[in-house]
Amino acid sequence: MKRQDERSVGELLLDADFTTRQILMDVTGDDAPAMLRTWGEVVQSASELWATLPQPFRGTTSPIDGVTVARLESMSQAMHRNQIRRGWPGDGPSDERLLHVAETLTRAADLIGRRGGHIGPTDPAVRADLDAARMRIMHTLYVGAHSVGVAAQQHVADVELATTRGMPSRECRAVPRGQDAINRLAAFEQLAGAYVGNQFARAVQGEHVHGPYGSERLQQALIGWDIQAHRTLATNPTPANLVLASRTQAGIATAAAAILHAGARTGHVDAHAYEHRLAPTLDATQQAWTQVATRWAEMTTPAGRTDLDLVHAAGELRAAVREVAHDKTTWARPEVMAGRVDLGEAAQHLQQALSTAVDVACVIRDVAAEDPNLTGPARAMSHRANADIDRAAGRGHRGKDVVWVTGHSPCCATVARPQTQ
Amino acid sequence: MTNDTIDQDAGDTLAAVARLLRHAAVRAWAQAEVEGPRSHLHLLGLGIHIASCQAVAMLPACADLEGQPPAQDDIAQLLRAAEELTRAIPVLDQAAGISPLVVAICDLMREATP
Repeated sequence: MKRQDERSVGELLLDADFTTRQILMDVTGDDAPAMLRTWGEVVQSASELWATLPQPFRGTTSPIDGVTVARLESMSQAMHRNQIRRGWPGDGPSDERLLHVAETLTRAADLIGRRGGHIGPTDPAVRADLDAARMRIMHTLYVGAHSVGVAAQQHVADVELATTRGMPSRECRAVPRGQDAINRLAAFEQLAGAYVGNQFARAVQGEHVHGPYGSERLQQALIGWDIQAHRTLATNPTPANLVLASRTQAGIATAAAAILHAGARTGHVDAHAYEHRLAPTLDATQQAWTQVATRWAEMTTPAGRTDLDLVHAAGELRAAVREVAHDKTTWARPEVMAGRVDLGEAAQHLQQALSTAVDVACVIRDVAAEDPNLTGPARAMSHRANADIDRAAGRGHRGKDVVWVTGHSPCCATVARPQTQ
Repeated sequence: MTNDTIDQDAGDTLAAVARLLRHAAVRAWAQAEVEGPRSHLHLLGLGIHIASCQAVAMLPACADLEGQPPAQDDIAQLLRAAEELTRAIPVLDQAAGISPLVVAICDLMREATP
C-alpha cells in the first residue's frame, strides 16, 4: 500500500523547487528530448496550482500576476503544438524528474482544493504566504525552463558535432528544431525571471529575448565590456571594481589564447605566428593582468561592492566566450569551436579587444598613480609597502623610492604611492 | 548598490553564501595559476566571482562579510554548500535576485563537476 503524502503545500513547493535545481546541476544534452516532452506538463501543473490559490482581495495584488502565468502557459502550449507539427522530439519516454515536479505541483493543487477553501486572503499574514507561494511557483518555472534550455543547447551542440562526423541527415533535423525550442525557452525564462526579479516592466517593454549567437555575440560582449569598464573606472575606481576589471581582462587573454589556438589548429589563423608570437604574448598578458588583479584584491575589503553594470558586462562576456570555446567542464576541441563560429572572425574581434585593453590598463595605472581617494585595509597595505621596500632594497634601489601609507582609521589607509626623491 | 529591505535571517544566510562563493573563486584562481595562463579555471573563477558580486549586491550595507574562510578547498563542494544555503532564503520581492543567483550557482556547479 502506498504511503500517504502528508507534506504541506509549502513543503511540496520546496520539493518542486529543489528538484528543478538538481536537474539543472546534472542536466546533459541526452536529456533534452525527454525534458522537452515533459516540460509542458510542468507548466500546466503550475498553472493549475496557481489557479487554485485564493485570488487577491480587491486588487491587493497587481492583475499582471495572473497575466504572467497565463502567458507562460500559452507559450508552453504553442511550443508543444510546434513539437507535434514538426515531429520533434517525437514519441518517447518522459523525463522522470520533471514528471516528479509536475506531480508535486498537482499534489499541492489537490491539497489546496480539498482543504484550502476556507482560506481568506484578507489577513496580511495569509496574503504574505500566498505571495510567497506564487513567487516559489514562478521561481520553479524559471529554474526549470533554464534547465530545459541548457539541455536543448547541449543537445544541439552534440548533434552539430556529430553532423560533422557524418551523422544521418534524419538526425540532423534536431538542429533547427532544437534551436527553435531554445529560443522559445529563452523567452519563457525571461518572462518568468522578470516576475521573480521584480522587473516586469522591463520585460513587457520588449527587452531583447533572442540575442545574437556565436562570433557576433562575442563581438558585442567584448565591445560592451570595454565601454562599461571605461565608464565604471572613470566614475568609481574602487579596488573591488578594479579587481573585476583586471580579472575579466585576464579572462579575455585566456580565452583569446584558447580560441586562437583552435584557429591555428584548424587553419583559420597562421599557425607559425600563433606559436611564436601570439601565444607567448597572450600568456604574458594574462599573467600581467592576473598580477594586477592580485594586487588590487589585497586592497579590497570583504564588504567592498562591485558596480552591477560592470558585473553584468563581465557575465555576458564570460557567457559569450563559453558559447564559443567551452564544452561542459573544459575547453572545446579545436574542430568543435570551428564548427560553432568562424574562428578567423572571432580572432579579429579578440585582436581588437586586446588592442583596446591597453587603454584600460592605462586607466588603471592612472588610478593607482593619481587617485587621491583610493583607500584600502591598513594591514594589507602595510604588508604590501614593506614587501615593496624590501624588494627595492634587495635590488639596490635604497633611497630612490619611498612608499607612503597614511592612516585614517584602524582599518583603513590611503594607498601606498611610490614617490621619487 | 545595497538592499536594506532583506530580512535579517535571509541576509545572514546570503552573506554566508557570498563568503563561500568568494572563497571558491579564490580557490579556482589559485588552481588556475598552478595550471598556467591558459587554464579554463581562470574563467570558472571569474564566473564564481561574478556570482559572489551578485550575492553581495543583494545585501544591506551593514552585512557581515568578514570571518574565517571555510575549511574546505574543493570548488564543487564549496558551490554545493552555497547552493544548499540558498534553499533557506525565501523567494520574495525583498530578496529579488535570488532566482538568478540560484541558477548561476547551479550552472557553475555543472561547469565545475567533471
